[in-house]
Amino acid sequence: MIDEMRDIAGSVVEQLRHRGVDYGDARVENTDLESLTFRKQRLAEAELTAERGVGVRVLVRGCWGFASCSGLDTEEIERTVDRAVEVARAGAGVMEGSVRLSEEVPSVGHYDGPCLKDPFAVSMTEKMDLMAKAADTMHESDSITMSWTSLRFERKRRVFGNTQGTLVSSDLVFTMPVINAYAVHDGDMQSRGFQDGARIAGWEWVEEAGLQAWAEKAREEAIMKVRAPEGPAGEMDLVLDGTHLSLTMHESVGHPTESDRVLGWEASMAGRTFLNIDDQERLRYGSELVNFVADNTMPYGVASWGWDDDGVPGQKWYTVRNGIFQQFGSVRETALLVGREHSTGCCRAQDFSSFPINRQPNFYLQPGPGPVTPEDLISEVQKGVYIEGRGSFSIDQRRVNFQFGGDMFWEIRDGRKVQPLKKVIYRSRTRDFWRACDGMADDRYFRTMGILTCGKGEPMQSARMTHGASTSRFRNIEVGRGAE
Amino acid sequence: MTGEELLGVVEAVLDSARVPDAVASITEYRDAAVRFGQNRITQNMDRFERKLRVTLGDGERRSVYTTHRIDVDAVPDILSRAMEMLRTASPDPEYMPPVEGGQVYPIVEAWDGETAAMDASARTRAAALAVSTAAGRDMEASGLVEMSYTKTAIGTSTGNLAVHRSTEAGMRLTMDRGKASSFRMLSSESWADLPIEETVHRVAEEVQADQAQEELEPGEYRLLFEPQAVADLVPYIAWSLNARQADEGLTVFSGKLGERVTGEDFTLGSEVDGTLKGMPFNEEGLASRDVVWIDSGRLVAQPCSRYWAGQSGREPLFIPGTLAVKGGPGSVESILRGVKGRALLFRRFWYIRFVDQKELSLTGMTRDGVFLVEDGRIVHPVKDFRWNWKPLDLFSTIEALGQPERKWQLSVPPMLLGPVRL
Repeated sequence: MIDEMRDIAGSVVEQLRHRGVDYGDARVENTDLESLTFRKQRLAEAELTAERGVGVRVLVRGCWGFASCSGLDTEEIERTVDRAVEVARAGAGVMEGSVRLSEEVPSVGHYDGPCLKDPFAVSMTEKMDLMAKAADTMHESDSITMSWTSLRFERKRRVFGNTQGTLVSSDLVFTMPVINAYAVHDGDMQSRGFQDGARIAGWEWVEEAGLQAWAEKAREEAIMKVRAPEGPAGEMDLVLDGTHLSLTMHESVGHPTESDRVLGWEASMAGRTFLNIDDQERLRYGSELVNFVADNTMPYGVASWGWDDDGVPGQKWYTVRNGIFQQFGSVRETALLVGREHSTGCCRAQDFSSFPINRQPNFYLQPGPGPVTPEDLISEVQKGVYIEGRGSFSIDQRRVNFQFGGDMFWEIRDGRKVQPLKKVIYRSRTRDFWRACDGMADDRYFRTMGILTCGKGEPMQSARMTHGASTSRFRNIEVGRGAE
Repeated sequence: MTGEELLGVVEAVLDSARVPDAVASITEYRDAAVRFGQNRITQNMDRFERKLRVTLGDGERRSVYTTHRIDVDAVPDILSRAMEMLRTASPDPEYMPPVEGGQVYPIVEAWDGETAAMDASARTRAAALAVSTAAGRDMEASGLVEMSYTKTAIGTSTGNLAVHRSTEAGMRLTMDRGKASSFRMLSSESWADLPIEETVHRVAEEVQADQAQEELEPGEYRLLFEPQAVADLVPYIAWSLNARQADEGLTVFSGKLGERVTGEDFTLGSEVDGTLKGMPFNEEGLASRDVVWIDSGRLVAQPCSRYWAGQSGREPLFIPGTLAVKGGPGSVESILRGVKGRALLFRRFWYIRFVDQKELSLTGMTRDGVFLVEDGRIVHPVKDFRWNWKPLDLFSTIEALGQPERKWQLSVPPMLLGPVRL
């Protein structure tokens, strides 16, 4: 399959050379998706999807043109090449083009993502039994009125070739188990779920995730939560676990450090950033403890594709080091504009039919040197809340003013977790929040969350990336209840 | 492909399916768009896709297979994959056969041939106008100019067969200078109907008026929502309407059918072939129809699957892709002139999320224009701020409604709402 796709990419690149474009690339993709979902204790969805197609991007006098088609029909692909060149010329005829790509060494190669057990080879009976058992476990209590149990497997084969000599391919398997239990009590409803998300991995991720144990935990904690008192309000300390922080960092660090935002290319949709280009290597973003490491070579990271959709290899760098902002994530088109010689390899499209844009890399909050446990962090809190998992989330378009909820809350009093809570939210401003970080557990407590649905761009595209952190502490944060 | 060709593939799939129950649908989609930002074109696209979806059922089990392989020769292989999935699926206690034959589908005229055939030059000229206008005023323009068409054919093993096609043209435009900004969205089935030039100049004027924002002083304010601000909130109500989720105690509408949920000036419905053009059928092949969900503040209907309709004694209903809020005679300007005391005028909201789904409480930010209004006139722009509101409570305090405007698949009026403490 990959060989056939490489031939198609090579053929498109050859056609682009003959048409005399200044630059051109081809992406050929073939994706198989299996999605199985239990709603309560019944199989509500069993769906297979087979997607394939080609995306062609060209530069003519500094103007982009992009066209795509589904299927791998030769004549349709030739028409797609024509359309890409046509729209680029239309742009060049109206406005002066200004696109300049960073110089990158051409790559040739192939990357296989880690996958020990092919999930498509696991019998449907085994999958159904696993999900049915988890669903039955959640519904052992009548307080659970609804639940979701799902397994999602995706095999994505992708080939990228360009007129500068790059020809690379990847074979990636994405696996994502999901569990959510919903408890109803006294007119209220609360949920609890497994939120570690997706990995580039095979069936071994389903086994490691421990759905059966999570079904029990989700059931018990959803019931505990719906019967819990609402949280306290006022300024207090927060202790946040890795699955919770993964979303907080995604919104308040990942998005503001995208180079297309600082250039204003997302101003109409996803928004801008509070950062300026000359803040690189100067601006204090967080406390001295705060180190954000971007890593598109991270094992299991769902943005570890070998090469991005510019054909640039996956890389590892500091976004924030010892609390100081280091650099934006970039693509070949933005690297020079934000004062960098080379792209960090953050160019990705949702699929073959989308124009690739600047996306967040995998990145994580580097754990503390330790040894420090979450209990050590909690023991130094007089009044606060411990939060696990993600809940409500919202942030302004410049990525400063945010409000987050969570999936499970515990009141901390005099250094101990004393009772579960519900409807806790906290509000802060990005740099105030990260500067309030004064403690971090070590890497034994590191948890990751693989996101498959980060929305950005127009037309809207979903992108995937993995974040992670060890449990960390933040001092004097404004905490509220529900919609108050 | 023509409508007849699309139906031909659908019929070939249905004819070859060796199971009692089958539904096949095929969608052809073309989307051409120019994206711009920082006063330059950043993307120029022409995307084309055909997708076939086959649902098979044997009376107990069901499977769905979706593919980009669209040709009659591929049908045996496509069905073989779907059958393999079907054989290994577990029995579904909520199994439903395909919708009964004899569905009568509304004819929805939503196609504009010129928009479907438009080349890239019109789009790039519109983007260039926005960019040059902004640059001439020391502003930056960003946004999207887009034209698309969709053709969908569907058939069921119970004898239903239908095809529908629609076009869509639109522009989303933001201009900003520092923290001053404005945003407008245009949409229609026809590119020719879009007032591009007028809107570009209007947005530039609005940026000028957004300079020198001041902090919001705590206090009570009436809220004046432009149509876009209403359009940003209404989908959260629609997503909470589902009958089964309400019956299971999961939403704010649990046990509320027939009861008052907002003030009597709020009416929310869906239309299939009015100002808005909906889909004439859903993915099961069930015929669409106009529905009123909230009538003068009372919850009168809820989207309901065929299975749950049978269990709960309701009628199967679904949202046909459109939402319409009933309006009144005024405009934003006339409502503003009638404001007594203090109010805030909102152009748009951003990053709205549920805080609590059971309460239908939301949080979000203001964006691209908030203005203090006193006794019928704008006093000054206000800096963006976070809000936490319950839209059903807000829509219980409607004091004035204006004429609805189309915002993609929503028709929404401007609204003046009663005092809220901020």
